[in-house]
Amino acid sequence: MTVQHKDDTNMEDLLKKAFADDLPAEVAAGMRQRIERFRSGKARGEVPSAAWAWFFRRSVWVALSILMLFAGILLQGAKSSSPLADRISALKAEFSSVPTTRR
Amino acid sequence: MTEINRSFAKGRTLVRWLFAAAFILVVLISGFFSGLMNKAGLLYLVSGSVAAALMGFTAREIGTAFRQAAGVVGTGESLSKSAHFWEAAARNAWVLGALGSALNFTIVLGTGSGEIAGVAVRMIQSFLVMLYGLVLAVICLIPAMKLSGQAERTLHREEARPASEPAGPSRIGFRTLTPDRIFGYALFAAVLVLNVVFLVGGRSQSGPLPIGKILLHWPAILVVGGGSVALALLMDAETGARGWTLGFAVTGLTGLLMGLIQALFGFVHRNIAEIAAACAFIISASSLSLLGLVAVAGPLEDREVMEGRRVRSGSLSRLFWAVFPLLTFIFLILAFIMVVTPMEKPGG
Repeated sequence: MTVQHKDDTNMEDLLKKAFADDLPAEVAAGMRQRIERFRSGKARGEVPSAAWAWFFRRSVWVALSILMLFAGILLQGAKSSSPLADRISALKAEFSSVPTTRR
Repeated sequence: MTEINRSFAKGRTLVRWLFAAAFILVVLISGFFSGLMNKAGLLYLVSGSVAAALMGFTAREIGTAFRQAAGVVGTGESLSKSAHFWEAAARNAWVLGALGSALNFTIVLGTGSGEIAGVAVRMIQSFLVMLYGLVLAVICLIPAMKLSGQAERTLHREEARPASEPAGPSRIGFRTLTPDRIFGYALFAAVLVLNVVFLVGGRSQSGPLPIGKILLHWPAILVVGGGSVALALLMDAETGARGWTLGFAVTGLTGLLMGLIQALFGFVHRNIAEIAAACAFIISASSLSLLGLVAVAGPLEDREVMEGRRVRSGSLSRLFWAVFPLLTFIFLILAFIMVVTPMEKPGG
């Protein structure tokens, strides 16, 4: 048995003697309350961090960007009107209406 | 003796640069090429190139590159980095030339009103920016090639750096966003906005459409944005900034091909709206891809090289930087032809 181990054993015995009885009811209730507050606070803190972790997951961004890509292809395929396309249409119509001279 | 030789070398380099500058000035003043003058385009290209250089390099790195181009000697590593700066400057000029042409073309289409011949002339003038970009790229390639040769010789003498790529992760580093790089990004944004304002200024926009709506073609934004981000994220972390170059270039190419195929269908169906949608998609997708290449992918790859995480930019990246602007130019010409080609209505 080493000297350190002997010291630890003595300290353990002392603590056992000092706290031989159960804790007083009000002290136990106070401790339970504090533990509960700590747990609920930790749980509240974990919700946003979990949400953020999920939000910053690589796979989420990959899925979002692929969705964007397909949405763009579908929009273009559906020939949805855009201001630029409308302007080009008007210009093309103007060019088509210019009388051409055939020799 | 060596000091005297160095002084002579510096003097010769300075005289050469002065001679080249005087020659360009005389050519400009002579008016021989007045038909090839697009002042707004020239201003955009020069200031855009300065901003693009600041986005990828610190002021100290730029200063060193200029000094070494003027004949100041350095270690093999610093010469190699200066050579990379000039190569990146050439790349930026080339890409910015294509982007400027595409933006000018879009603005002419968006604000085109009045005489048809005038609109067509303005459309052709927008291609001049590409020519300026090519000239500036060639000018920047001269010191790049010179310094690259010097770096090889010096490195060989020093027998220092192995030719292989350095190991280690190549994480994309926004941590290296120095104040001069932030200034570069702000300047670049200002150059783009001022270019648009300058081109739109004084021209009547037919209809109630603001220019912002003309420039934002949502299908192209979704395809280029979504496709580039997806490709860059799907790459291995070791790929680093090369993933962004590949992403923007590949989605841009996809956009060009999609637009061309849709336009051909439009001609078969004799549907002007379909052709117009395809032209809008070609112009917007190519503009956005070029913007991504010059503002996102290029600076990130430059930082990888300057911070010693890579020896040089990837060969595939360099291929895309050379080829994609050229393809954009060809597709812009195709779009121009599609717009000005008269089309009769079915049964007409």
